[in-house]
Amino acid sequence: MGSLRPYLQYARLAFQRRAAYRLANWTGVAVNVFFLLVHAQVLLAFFRAKPGALGWSPQDAVLYFTASEALLMVVGIFPDYRFNLAERIRTGEVVTDLARPVTLFWRDVAERFGTALYYMIARFPPVYLTGAVLYAVTPPLRLEVCLFPVSLALAIGVSAGLWYVVCSSAYFRDTANGELSALVFVNTVFGGVFVPIDFYPSGLQAVANVLPFRATLYTPVALLTGKLSGAALVFGVLHQAVWLGVLSAVALWIESRGLRRLATQGG
Amino acid sequence: MIADAIALWARLAGAQLRSQMQYRWSFAIQNGVLAAVVLADLLPVWILSRFFGSLDGWSFAELALLYGMVGTSWAIVEAALRGFENFSVYLVQGDLDRILLRPRAVILQVAAREFDARKLGRMAQGLLVLVISCLVLGLDARALAWVVLGVAGGMLTFAGIVMAGAAIQFWTLGQAQELQNILTYGGSSALTYPVSIYTTWFRRVLTFAVPLAFVNYFPALAALGRTKQAGWPEFVPWLSPFVCAFVLAIGLLAFTRGLRRYESTGS
Repeated sequence: MGSLRPYLQYARLAFQRRAAYRLANWTGVAVNVFFLLVHAQVLLAFFRAKPGALGWSPQDAVLYFTASEALLMVVGIFPDYRFNLAERIRTGEVVTDLARPVTLFWRDVAERFGTALYYMIARFPPVYLTGAVLYAVTPPLRLEVCLFPVSLALAIGVSAGLWYVVCSSAYFRDTANGELSALVFVNTVFGGVFVPIDFYPSGLQAVANVLPFRATLYTPVALLTGKLSGAALVFGVLHQAVWLGVLSAVALWIESRGLRRLATQGG
Repeated sequence: MIADAIALWARLAGAQLRSQMQYRWSFAIQNGVLAAVVLADLLPVWILSRFFGSLDGWSFAELALLYGMVGTSWAIVEAALRGFENFSVYLVQGDLDRILLRPRAVILQVAAREFDARKLGRMAQGLLVLVISCLVLGLDARALAWVVLGVAGGMLTFAGIVMAGAAIQFWTLGQAQELQNILTYGGSSALTYPVSIYTTWFRRVLTFAVPLAFVNYFPALAALGRTKQAGWPEFVPWLSPFVCAFVLAIGLLAFTRGLRRYESTGS
């Protein structure tokens, strides 16, 4: 991995790349708030038929989507189709990367954290506040919430790992756009983006609990909204840590093989 | 005249299709995934209906009908008029100048410019949901006529919205791209559920300001024979075609006005 400095630079650049488009962030806030309103109202309407299901109050439902829409960009559910490893391989830019003394995987991780920091500052507060004010909900002040930063950091790491592994098919085939949209698909299905995993039928829930995708959005959101405690909390954070380890190992292994196979193009 | 227009659109779209087929594997996955994404849209509806029973008196099959109507019409517009969604890029980078130089209708050229065959998978999936839900609900000929009317109206409405969205770019120079996405992507996901579940102001926006309720909610009420029961006079669904045509007219008008106002970026 070498010195830490180049990676900090990568993180800083990723931060600045987002910060350059200020109006875009505000329209993004509007999009997040819109979906927050839709999802929250839908779940509230369902709850009218069966109040108190699973021990969730209507406020819990609203809080879940408030937190998930606020964190959606922070944990990076939607990949960046313009700036990613696959795109650099396709255009041939990867050649300049290879001339530098950095591991491409750690570079992606650094960029992911830089991006996440930007969204934590610019996106999370307005979306979260809007949801909290509109529905007069307050986050539960519980001791477990202290674990939230740890869980969030793990989530960002897992998300970087998933993106890297998916993008790395470009080492062998030039592009990974198809695989990236596949990732968005499984992320939304098994990551609890539209429906909290708690409401899944048991079979689907069991699958979601094994796969890595709940580590990106569901675990930090459920933790922040006070829906994870005791054994479920321990499982959630361990699940994140284990998948982060596995994905990093796989990513580094693919990188060592992929670089040997890589044939760049472009002039 | 119209046949010429369609032939020209098909030619331009065909050129796009050939360029996308260059990355054959990626193309195949993306189409498969996009078909699956529609299921990902429907999956939360299924999970929640299964858990809670019904939503405000709407069964899962009826919710699928709502989804099928709005999903099909949006997918068709998205595939056919994709260029309007990325219109800001042509404005900022000067592609519009090239389009204006050609002796063919600007609207046609813009429409076909980014024809995305990958959206065909999406369209097929939306249609499939629509057909299955109609079969499950056992709709008769009169009800099916309402469904067809709704889908046709949806195409007009979404076409009007994307054109109006592109027109706004003449003034904002591309910075408001995401706001259009709220109306199209956001609107179509909000309309997966009956408008009646939303709070008053949100419902009014979807009925009167951006009249998406006329795309699927009112025609579906008429198809299911529930207009009265939902508290609307019987004539309201009959307004659908007029309202939808009106939205298209506004979109066309806004776009031609913007075009008249256009002065090149000059580089």
